[in-house]
Amino acid sequence: MLIGVIAMFFVKPQDTLEGMIDAVNNALKLSFSLMALYAIWLGILNILEQTGFNKKLSVGLRPMIYFLFGRVSDTTAEYISMNIAANLLGMGNAATPMGIKAINSMDDQSGVATDAMIMLFVINASSIQILPTTIISLRTALKSASPADIILPTIITSFISTLSAVLLVKIIIKIKNRKRRREYD
Amino acid sequence: MTDYILPVLFLILFLIVTFKNIPAYDYFTEGAKGAINLGIGIFPYIAAIMIAVNLLRLSGVTDCLAVILSPVFNFLGIPTELAELTLLRPFSGSGSLALLNEIMTKHGPDSYASRAACVIMGSSETVFYVAGVYFASSKARKLRFAVPVALVSSLISVVAGCFLVRFL
Repeated sequence: MLIGVIAMFFVKPQDTLEGMIDAVNNALKLSFSLMALYAIWLGILNILEQTGFNKKLSVGLRPMIYFLFGRVSDTTAEYISMNIAANLLGMGNAATPMGIKAINSMDDQSGVATDAMIMLFVINASSIQILPTTIISLRTALKSASPADIILPTIITSFISTLSAVLLVKIIIKIKNRKRRREYD
Repeated sequence: MTDYILPVLFLILFLIVTFKNIPAYDYFTEGAKGAINLGIGIFPYIAAIMIAVNLLRLSGVTDCLAVILSPVFNFLGIPTELAELTLLRPFSGSGSLALLNEIMTKHGPDSYASRAACVIMGSSETVFYVAGVYFASSKARKLRFAVPVALVSSLISVVAGCFLVRFL
């Protein structure tokens, strides 16, 4: 934000406040639409929790979750499995509220993000989208000869990026642990 | 086909709920209540991030960066036309979608640049926005290596995307 204000000072000082208000306006709109989204998905999530569906799902995904996130509590594992399942089904907007619940349940209140929190964030920030619907419809609107021919490279690419993100986090954690062990010796 | 996934899932869920005699209405409203606090909790962080992004865009800092970094990007196999998209993508979802539209109108939707741009758009996320939303309601303020790793992996996805589109 500081860099932005300094740059504005030199380029267009008269637009600074307007630009800020515009941004907050968008943030308000976004918060409201997120609230609508969360209301639906958190409601559904609560039903799923009470029916015990997500327990079954998380038991199935448990080996993968333990590998990625280490030993997490049962509730956390349930939220994480819901988040990943929603992501794989291409329901990015359903994944967000569940991801937030998972992050909150992993929070140790120390003010510092734990390894598991970072892992979940990185997986969600690298996008595991299967069908880029918005982009395909945009291509159709612009009269592309084959609007859907980007699906395959998109899937491969998002797989590569998620994989590289997971590996990077794993490597960093390993290096940090080794350093810590050396300090104890 | 994909249009039916969600309705079918909802239908199955509601059928199970009715069959099992679960007070679904109560559970739904109980869960939905949490949405208001979540939205309010996230708002200030989204506002701050969006102000920063908007000022950086308006002042032309991102354009300058695109020009400065384009030799580096060329070295990585990212064409100059896509430098700005690569830089903007982690900051702004709607901004980069507008940019994608611009690239496709300018170069034609079936050109190499446009197809690579589509793949970049589809295979990466608005990293800073995701960080704001995911961590806003937790106590964690020190994110350690979270954002750098996410940015590196989205750069990897850009490079991989530009490479793959040449063949696929």
